[in-house]
Amino acid sequence: MDFLNTHLLSLILFIPSLAALVILFLPSEEHKFIRWTAFLASLIPFGLSVYLWIQFNPDLAGYQFEVKYAWYDAIASSLHLGVDGLSLTMVLLTTFLTPLALLASFNISDRVKAYMMLFLFLETGMLGVFLAIDLLAFFIFWEIGLVPMYFLINQWGSANRNYASLKFMIYTMGGSLGLLLGIQLFGVLFQTFDLAEIVAKWNMISPNATFGETTITFATIKTVAFWAFVVAFAIKVPIWPFHTWLPDAHTEAPTAGSMILAGILLKLGAYGFLRLVLPLYPEQAQYFSGALAFLAVAAIVFGALASYGQTDFKRLVAYSSVNHMGFVLLGVAAAARAVGTLDATIALNGAVLQMFNHGLSAAGMFFLVGVIYERTHTRDLSKYGGLFTLIPVYGGILIFTSMSSLGLPGLNGFISEFLVVRGSWPILTVYTAIAMLGLFFTGAYILKAIKNVLHGPLNEHWAQGEHKLTEINTREILVMVPLMALILVIGVYPAWILDVINKAMVMLF
Amino acid sequence: MTTETLLWLIPLPPVLAFFLIVIFTNKNRALSHTIGVGAAALSWLGSMIVFARALGVHELGKTPFQSTFNWFPTGAAWFKVGVLIDPLGAAVLFFVAITIFMIFLYSVGYHNYGQPAGDHDRKGLPPHGATVTDEHGHAHVVPSIEPMYSRFFAFLGLFAFGMYVLVLSDNLLTLFVGWEIMGLCSYLLIGFWYGKPSARDAAVKAFMTTRVGDVFMLLGIAYLYSATGTLSFREIFNNAGFMQALATTATPILGLSAAGLIGLLLFIGTIGKSAQWPLHIWLPDAMEGPTPVSAMIHAATMVSAGVYMVIRMFPLLSLDPRTMTVVAFIGTFTAIFAATIAVAQNDIKRVLAYSTISQLGFMIAALGIGAYVAAAFHLITHAFFKALLFLGSGSVIHGMEHGVLHVQGEHAGSPQHAGSPQHAGSPQPPQQHIDPQDMFNMGGLRKKMPITFWTFLIGGFALSGFPLVTTGFWSKDEILADAWGHGHLAVFITLAVAAFMTAFYTMRQITLTFLGEPRTKEAEHAQETPWTMTVPLMVLAFFAVTYGWVGIPEHFPGLGGLVPNWFHDFVGHTLAHVPEAPAFSWVPLLTSLGVALGGLFFGWLYYRNVKSAKEDVFQIPVLKNKWYFDEAYNFLFIKPAYWFSETFVYKWMDQWLIDGILHSFGKATQGLGAAIRKYIDVIVVNGFGDLVGYGTKDVGQGLRPMQTGRVQQYMLAALLTVIVVGAILTFFLAA
Amino acid sequence: MIPLSWFLFLSAALFSIGLFGVLARKNAIAILLGIELMLNAVNINLVSFWRYNDPSRIDGQVFTVIVFAVAAAEVAVGLALIISVYRHRNTVVADEIDLMKW
Repeated sequence: MDFLNTHLLSLILFIPSLAALVILFLPSEEHKFIRWTAFLASLIPFGLSVYLWIQFNPDLAGYQFEVKYAWYDAIASSLHLGVDGLSLTMVLLTTFLTPLALLASFNISDRVKAYMMLFLFLETGMLGVFLAIDLLAFFIFWEIGLVPMYFLINQWGSANRNYASLKFMIYTMGGSLGLLLGIQLFGVLFQTFDLAEIVAKWNMISPNATFGETTITFATIKTVAFWAFVVAFAIKVPIWPFHTWLPDAHTEAPTAGSMILAGILLKLGAYGFLRLVLPLYPEQAQYFSGALAFLAVAAIVFGALASYGQTDFKRLVAYSSVNHMGFVLLGVAAAARAVGTLDATIALNGAVLQMFNHGLSAAGMFFLVGVIYERTHTRDLSKYGGLFTLIPVYGGILIFTSMSSLGLPGLNGFISEFLVVRGSWPILTVYTAIAMLGLFFTGAYILKAIKNVLHGPLNEHWAQGEHKLTEINTREILVMVPLMALILVIGVYPAWILDVINKAMVMLF
Repeated sequence: MTTETLLWLIPLPPVLAFFLIVIFTNKNRALSHTIGVGAAALSWLGSMIVFARALGVHELGKTPFQSTFNWFPTGAAWFKVGVLIDPLGAAVLFFVAITIFMIFLYSVGYHNYGQPAGDHDRKGLPPHGATVTDEHGHAHVVPSIEPMYSRFFAFLGLFAFGMYVLVLSDNLLTLFVGWEIMGLCSYLLIGFWYGKPSARDAAVKAFMTTRVGDVFMLLGIAYLYSATGTLSFREIFNNAGFMQALATTATPILGLSAAGLIGLLLFIGTIGKSAQWPLHIWLPDAMEGPTPVSAMIHAATMVSAGVYMVIRMFPLLSLDPRTMTVVAFIGTFTAIFAATIAVAQNDIKRVLAYSTISQLGFMIAALGIGAYVAAAFHLITHAFFKALLFLGSGSVIHGMEHGVLHVQGEHAGSPQHAGSPQHAGSPQPPQQHIDPQDMFNMGGLRKKMPITFWTFLIGGFALSGFPLVTTGFWSKDEILADAWGHGHLAVFITLAVAAFMTAFYTMRQITLTFLGEPRTKEAEHAQETPWTMTVPLMVLAFFAVTYGWVGIPEHFPGLGGLVPNWFHDFVGHTLAHVPEAPAFSWVPLLTSLGVALGGLFFGWLYYRNVKSAKEDVFQIPVLKNKWYFDEAYNFLFIKPAYWFSETFVYKWMDQWLIDGILHSFGKATQGLGAAIRKYIDVIVVNGFGDLVGYGTKDVGQGLRPMQTGRVQQYMLAALLTVIVVGAILTFFLAA
Repeated sequence: MIPLSWFLFLSAALFSIGLFGVLARKNAIAILLGIELMLNAVNINLVSFWRYNDPSRIDGQVFTVIVFAVAAAEVAVGLALIISVYRHRNTVVADEIDLMKW
């Protein structure tokens, strides 16, 4: 028990990789065995996360359950893991979504072993980013997450997968260059990569001090480093105009890949903003908060508009991710401008909750797209029509999940969007007002999707013969039920998660 | 149990019904409607108990029933939400509970419970009738049961839940939650017959139009919350400091104070939800939904929610005269605007739709001029008689459909059709030869459907403001009296004209539908509807007659003072300062008598002789086409929105510009790589490597001929070498 | 006594003639003759230096005698090789024995 408590985070982090290694030695033809092994193995980190959630004390400041393993002593980088309210929420989301994504992948029958292994490695990569408090470890896990995703898209994706996977990988990696340089800068300056120490020391440097023997002031360096960090995370979130990889990657990825990509990988970028950018660069963030807010609102509005203009169902949902993550950044920008005020705290609460909520609703929506794609082999909205008659259960689930995406009060999306609006209205009034345009078009595209898929005269093509649509089956319902339950619970009673987030935000900022 | 607990419980039965029906009892129709109607009855019972208790509390405005709990944390504090019943809430709860209950009951009959399944019915389309053969072998076509019967009750349950949440809320946030849930349900219910493209589009139109209002309202809520730190009505309105601050803080928008701006933003939500001009376009299209839905949405609940919210926020709005002017203008304009369109509509439901818009305009106008009690009064009376009228129209349509099916059945059985192969077992539903909702196809229905006729007449007279015995008279008169008494002349005249037109088109409707002789065969075969539909009509008619008597002004000639103006005293006490009733004047009373009776008379006079639409002089195209607003909005907003999202944002910005930049980076990098390879790698680096190899080979090749195999030449070469080296050593390297 | 240089001249002349014969004669046996001449020229050189520098030492004589022996042996081997080559290739012209070429 004591081992469990002291090494809880390492267990959560590495059990997926261990499971992947176990799967390596299983015979490749035993698809069912491999799938179930992967799924059950992914439930272990989830169970541990729930245990972590229960044991976590939200009233304490700083990190809990810290462990530190010696790693690169020569450059003072260790594998230093820890959670606080912010990362705990994300860890819970990750370990919650991965089993569902694996369950959703049960219909993959091509190279199942490699697929499952890649997925589990991906889980470790994502968890590592959230758990790492050492910058070099953070970066390594950040990059590690890219490789399995690349292969998942490239090998099991749709028609345009080569282009999409390459774009995703190169673009994200390119953005991370600045991040790497920045991290190296810290390592050189402070002889350590530990985040807490770096934050403390970095903020003590006067902006007028010069760097080494040059005449470049730290003010300039901080600004450049700020933008380097911002670009790296902006590509991941994604923020307009760095978002164009997302529609391609999400659309071409296999269903479970899209679920994880939208559900969690995007949150890595937002997490980076909250964990690194805001604490390390408070003055720059405040100074440039208008620019950030502009980009956020651009993401909200243009994401919604682009989504509305789509004819491909999956691409419509992909652009909706741009739209929803824009709200996260709007909250972050508001918090950057007015650090420490109640409005900033509320905006941050909304932003973090929106990260969690979007993870749930995006994963759900992508899965539902996958369900219909599997049966019809097309994502073209004009080819559907009136399917509510044939598949009413699917239709009901689709409407429910869409309403969460739309931000219907009573479901989770509304709480987070309302908190962001409330928090950023006093701070960034005009931007918030413009963001409402995006909120309006959110309704437009959601209704467009429902209208084209479910409503209207029944497209007889799907009603009989070999194309006859089958209703959503038990396994697929089982994937959606936990998502829908959480969506409803958070919408009606958000206190269980908002309390943790709120306390963390108050203590961090 | 305590009233507070009861308040928390009242919204629960309908939402539980929703979940139970959706998840469990979907296939069982009887169980579903029992759960649905039972839930509505339970909530009604709870509401009546609360209302009774509320009546007994002295000074309910100062000590309302309320209860709160912590919902989510914000910073160091918690945001609280809760339930509240003050006088306004109690009065509204009363009518909401009754109308919802009646509509649930009505739906059982409306959707033809007990009838057989239709011949060609399919989920997503309205039922088209079933052929039954009686014992003589005659085939009749009878109305068939709605295929998605259970789903309807589930959605109605969710809708009822939304309305209860809205009415019982003590704060703007949960009010908004109820507001939006009703928006969702109106979308689901207007698009109930989703297989019809018109219904599907109408649902989207309703949702999106109200959403325009909703996003502004959200801003207003956020603004209010950030300015005062709370959204609870009592906390804001009873706090003089807050009210003062809101009234005096200036905003950069149009010179409004904070209160004015917040009020305006919230009011825009009402413009959307209560279908005021310019966001009125969704409500007539919403007639695509089944009639109980129209009654629910457009009379009892949803549009009333918009007015209710403005009445609730009245203390805030009244702080800024500019906002009040906007409110009054929108209301007045909408009242007359919609009335002009109603005169030219032929569909029985559309007349009522525009009538609703117009009457809501009356209420909004009343609020705009500060007539708090009058607005609330008209809200409640309107709910009763409009619900009655809608349900009545549904009954009429039902009766007409009976006739339509009867006529179709005759056609199908007639010699020229019987036995013909293309008609036997054809998959298409039978053609509707006439529109059962067109009033010009009706006529003389008073003989066929007496209960419907009398209740509809009562409702119509209430709408027109028939003096003394209908509620509409009392509430409308009070609005006019307030307008006159406080000197709002423009409002007074416009509303009076609108009232005249209201009476005119209402009598037009009654005359065309019920009076005279049937104009079509279908109308001849119309039938009265079952008790599940006529009992709600009678209950609502009762209230349409009697409710007005609770609000008789004190100075009314003759009757005033006999019974106290209970309504004014009760609801007026919701506000901190009870509004004064206007001083009595004969002008508004005579005006309202004149317009009501005049309108009714002229309507009857003209239309008793009109046989078809061609003879109707009021069928002016611009009125029939609703002043072309739909077309204008399509041109100004919808088409540009499509273009903007499909072409500008997606094709141009994202694909051409941003991806273009990325692709050019990619191409540039590729080009750079190719150039480096071509010019540096291949030529220099590779070349160097190759040079070493080839060079050696060439040198070797070159030197090869030296190997002649002839010993003497070798020796000669050796000799020469010795001489040369020796020379070098001796002469050049000697030192 | 005649000067040493006369003997050296003689030796050099003989050596050159021998060298010329080695390099320029076609017949392999003539080349051998040339080699013999060179060896004898060396002998003359050695003997001259012995006689004129230190006659009491026997180093020069010994060296000369060894050269005699080596020359004899070498001629024997060389003639044997030439005869072997002749038997295979039917020629003793040096230029025609050019198998070890490119």
